[in-house]
Amino acid sequence: MAGIRVESIEKTFGKFKALSGVSLEVRDQEFVVLLGPSGCGKTTLLRIIAGLEYAERGRVWIGDRDVTQLPPRARKIAMVFQNYAVFPHLTVFENIAFGLRMQKVSAEKLGAGVERAATLMHIENLLERYPAQLSGGQRQRVAVARALAVEPEVLLMDEPLSNLDALLRLEMRAELKRLLIESRTTTLYVTHDQVEAMSLADRIAVMNTGYLVQFDEPMKVYQEPANTFVGGFIGSPPMNFLRLPVEGRQARIQSLALDLPTGVSSQEVLLGVRPEDLEAHTQQQPQSFPAEVLVVEPLGPHLLLTLSFGKQHIKATVPPDFDVRAGQTLWLRPQPDRLRWLDPSNGQAIPMR
Amino acid sequence: MRSERYIPYVLILPSVLFLLLLFAWPLVEALLLSVRGSGGGWTLENFQRMAADLYFRDALKYTLLLTVVIVPLQVVMALGMALLLGSISKGRDLFLYVWTIPLGISDLAAGIVWLAIFTERGYLNSFLQGIGVIQQPQLWLSYETPMMIFVAVVAAEVWRATAIVFVILVAGLQLIPKEYSEAAEVFGATPWQRFRKVTLPLLMPSLQVALILRTILALEVFAVVVVLGGRNLPVLAGEAYFWYNTYQNPGVAAAYAVIILGISVVATLLYLRLLRSRQDGVA
Ligand SMILES: Nc1ncnc2c1ncn2[C@@H]1O[C@H](COP(=O)(O)OP(=O)(O)OP(=O)(O)O)[C@@H](O)[C@H]1O
Ligand SMILES: [Mg+2]
Repeated sequence: MAGIRVESIEKTFGKFKALSGVSLEVRDQEFVVLLGPSGCGKTTLLRIIAGLEYAERGRVWIGDRDVTQLPPRARKIAMVFQNYAVFPHLTVFENIAFGLRMQKVSAEKLGAGVERAATLMHIENLLERYPAQLSGGQRQRVAVARALAVEPEVLLMDEPLSNLDALLRLEMRAELKRLLIESRTTTLYVTHDQVEAMSLADRIAVMNTGYLVQFDEPMKVYQEPANTFVGGFIGSPPMNFLRLPVEGRQARIQSLALDLPTGVSSQEVLLGVRPEDLEAHTQQQPQSFPAEVLVVEPLGPHLLLTLSFGKQHIKATVPPDFDVRAGQTLWLRPQPDRLRWLDPSNGQAIPMR
Repeated sequence: MRSERYIPYVLILPSVLFLLLLFAWPLVEALLLSVRGSGGGWTLENFQRMAADLYFRDALKYTLLLTVVIVPLQVVMALGMALLLGSISKGRDLFLYVWTIPLGISDLAAGIVWLAIFTERGYLNSFLQGIGVIQQPQLWLSYETPMMIFVAVVAAEVWRATAIVFVILVAGLQLIPKEYSEAAEVFGATPWQRFRKVTLPLLMPSLQVALILRTILALEVFAVVVVLGGRNLPVLAGEAYFWYNTYQNPGVAAAYAVIILGISVVATLLYLRLLRSRQDGVA
């Protein structure tokens, strides 16, 4: 039984505030993905949980122990470092065995543990090599295997698959997920690959500039972003944000009037809508608004359209056989149950009621 | 592009010529000198004369003994100092500068400093008299007390030349990224285990350099010994000097030089073999 709980963590490097009061709870056996743009503080948070970095404020719990003051080795965790930190003077075998050797396990258990972790990461034929003789992706898998070998209760992984080719990453991702569910490992996993985040996570924690912005299930984060940042960061192409005038309790897109949630007193409102939630028609339809096609990009499974609506640009996806040319006018019908309303002054979502 | 290949060779040529002229040539000369008889033919006469000399066994013994005592002592001390420095953040540079001051002092001056301490009316006697441990000034550095001379030489050498080992090891430690130690710590290594399993192996190349350098210099120890003990503590380099200067016999002096060279080469090869760092052993 070991969850992770961090409470109001603050960390500054000199004058730079890397983390401004981050609180986060990873439940026992849960798989949480930490997602955010480069430099938002993901690694820093992970290092604080591991005990490698010292936070000025806040506390860290692992299981029911307050580990804030404990050194890393007393925290009983395993970690995959972003820069691998694979020992250059040890063979792949000895690297993977390192944690087990520190625990002084028996020779058979050690051999079996290394074998298992290496097989899982497809590096069982590299055990005799030194890290200098490995490719970047192989080295990264050694780092993952080293962490898996100790069968930790709590596993911290900092972009563990970032250096693998797309195919291998897909495979490893599935295997990791299977293994970690099987072994009931509590996992905190850093990535800035949103597809990876969506596919792996029980819950996603989205970070930006040292703040935890949203912490929820993948589909919730995708469909109900807490603010414009989350909506823009997750999803490719990102969510559209249309600035619309407010009339009474409705927002207006030309002839189309959409009901607003209660409590909008401002002059304008932001409508967040995903490109796939805009239904395109060549003829005028009820509940739709016209927009002019600027660019058509065939992406394989669908066409990505960029349209202009007044001075604003909108992205929409349509089936690949949809017959459309630049310059044409389309009628877009937003899916009424997939709309997100946000406050234009601060970008925060307006709660639905 | 092809014509640029010779440029590196041209650029290293002056230094190679310089080394050949000032090191290799005298080296060959010394070798020839040691195996040439007074008549001009090849002979081992010089070596026989050296081996038969009264001072030879002691010189060999004390040179090796000094090396065996001084070098490990220096490496252990320098390693400890370098590691301590690593855990200091404030005032780090100050410690670094203070610890490297002896680097700027010549070995002769160092010998004189320690002579001032150990001599009959020196600081040590004054101090011991002052606190009442001894009544009369003691004669520390006489031919009757070779052990004491030995200890004084060790002290002077450690004081004078530990800094060079220290500097090499500090540079070596700085080259080791801290992530390795961090990874070891996360996986449960105690500070001692981190040192043994991570820091020390990764420091091996620097340690090798420091050991080779210090051993060669220790085998050539001369000025400090001469100042503190004269010929009461004979050493190989000192004997070479006496044979050349006092006895006017360059042949035997050269034989001594060749012996020092031989031991240095053997020691260096031993270090290179025994301390081979594993990751380049396979590269
Ligand atoms: N030791 C340090 N000294 C000064 N600033 C630091 C230090 N470590 C991190 N930072 C700063 O803190 C911020 C957060 O860094 P962090 O490594 O946590 O980012 P990240 O979210 O992991 O980014 P990436 O996705 O690129 O790995 C960055 O702006 C970085 O410049
Ligand atoms: Mg990072």
